[in-house]
Amino acid sequence: MSEQSKDLSDPNLAAEALNSQMHDSPGVPAGVPPPPESPAATLGGPSTAPVGPTASPQAAPPPEERFEDIDPKILQQAAEEGRAHQPQSPPQPLPAPPAPAQLVQKAHELMWYVLVKDQKRMILWFPDMVKDVMGSYKKWCRSILRRTSLILARVFGLHLRLTNLHTMEFALVKALSPEDLDRVALNNRMPMTGLLLMILSLIYVKGRGARESAVWNVLRILGLRPWKKHSTFGDVRKLITEEFVQQNYLKYQRVPHVEPPEYEFFWGSRARREITKMQIMEFLARVFRKDPQAWPSRYREALEEARALREANPAAHCPRSSVSDD
Amino acid sequence: ATSGVFSAVGAPSNMQGSSSGRAGVMTDVHRRFLQLLMTHGVLEEWEVRRLQNHCYKVHDCNATVDKLEDFINNINSVLESLYIEIKKGITEDDGRPIYALVNLATTSVSKMATDFAESELDLFRKALELIIDSETGFASSTNILNLVDQLKGKKMRKKEAEQVLQKFVQSKWLIEKEGEFTLHGRAILEMEQFIRETYPDTVKICNICHSLLIQGQSCETCGIRMHLPCVAKYFQSASEPRCPHCNDYWPHEIPEVFNPEKEREAGGSKSSRKSLRTRQH
Repeated sequence: MSEQSKDLSDPNLAAEALNSQMHDSPGVPAGVPPPPESPAATLGGPSTAPVGPTASPQAAPPPEERFEDIDPKILQQAAEEGRAHQPQSPPQPLPAPPAPAQLVQKAHELMWYVLVKDQKRMILWFPDMVKDVMGSYKKWCRSILRRTSLILARVFGLHLRLTNLHTMEFALVKALSPEDLDRVALNNRMPMTGLLLMILSLIYVKGRGARESAVWNVLRILGLRPWKKHSTFGDVRKLITEEFVQQNYLKYQRVPHVEPPEYEFFWGSRARREITKMQIMEFLARVFRKDPQAWPSRYREALEEARALREANPAAHCPRSSVSDD
Repeated sequence: ATSGVFSAVGAPSNMQGSSSGRAGVMTDVHRRFLQLLMTHGVLEEWEVRRLQNHCYKVHDCNATVDKLEDFINNINSVLESLYIEIKKGITEDDGRPIYALVNLATTSVSKMATDFAESELDLFRKALELIIDSETGFASSTNILNLVDQLKGKKMRKKEAEQVLQKFVQSKWLIEKEGEFTLHGRAILEMEQFIRETYPDTVKICNICHSLLIQGQSCETCGIRMHLPCVAKYFQSASEPRCPHCNDYWPHEIPEVFNPEKEREAGGSKSSRKSLRTRQH
């Protein structure tokens, strides 16, 4: 299936985890890549803690966290850390809020910064954004970031997404189609989080149900355990075995004829309705930084489904086909 | 600068925009175009046309493809408030039109700061100065590498510096020809303003288009300089080429005007139209 991933300093552990699971290797995932090298690499704290099969000190939510869901304190902390290595005087008195025009200018600078970094396939690291662009405006990082995201969406059709809260990594991803955007906006309870997408892609790539043990192997790498409460997701086990199931995103069934009892996950009817296989391929491509065609049979399936959908909806917009990118 | 070799396509403040009559409307066609133009960094005109057609095909199969100039002006009218722009330029050696999305706001080498470390940026600065100072617009690898000790930031050895120079070539900031380096068209597009402001005494200007000149031909009598594509256009139908400034006989070989049609016939490969050697001063 997927050959060795590109050697990027990519701390996105979901990639390694999914990779190992897809090869059905029991248990231990492949060597975990170190956190990104950067001039600010000497940060103390979670970013540099060795991340591996042993649980990291702080639970890390998986990719695809929406920026708005993130606890602002965590961002603030990251911004603080981003400044930690600079020669700093002791805490200064609260500066006056900048003029709106200055924040707008910072948003434009950040927009360009993000575009160039992405062009160079470089990691978008939040502390770097603070250090390199926002500087003394770091207190207004949220509003700057929000404005930048808006501009990128409106003008470039790109979403600036926080893909890994643990490592404060962002990514520029192609925007959803207008229909999806509306759906996400209208239905806030829709748990289009990386957690669900990860489980769905695991199932999809396997081509059959995913055993609960396999799912937990994947989630464990990100610091999610069945018995541990998570700051955003709470009781993760309850979330995936009950809530997602009640919402019909997942099916959770006993594996027949197995003792002691084991359970496995399947796509739920709602996932089948709302999520396309092509979206899963795009998610995988993002996580692995590969072309979706690295999973040829799955990709073919996704194409088939996309074609069937198009034929069923001839009046709709010509579908955005991410694979025809130059 | 007047409309020169490097200028924006049309005028950004021209609000005539797209063929629909409304200005500054961004659709998914334009967005995808921008995304992909940004991904590629710099594109030649035929690639830009192909890209435009691709974006129409993907998003709006039935619409007529806008004229490229209008299409780009439309996008630029939206980009204006963001201080970025799709800029059109012409390569100095053989007059090919190129396009790049450039940032107008920052006017320093730190434009590239997102890509490179401090010492690498300084290496570029040193190479840039050598290129601008040189007669031919080229700086030799040896001369650049000899400055490695003077670089700011982390100490860099010559071996590393060689690799950094290759990085610049790959990122299309520099062009290498036979061990010598000059500025890529993309770098000129992005940095012209900065270069003119920073090196006002040593910078060279084309007598015809009044834009920044790195490579070109010069009059041996009065010293004025012209870009090769500008020479080609200016002397196109001249039986006896003469310097526009001092009227002395123009001693250099006159290059051909870039013809995209001929390019396609030749199979589109750059090497099939061996461009004139540029060192003719």
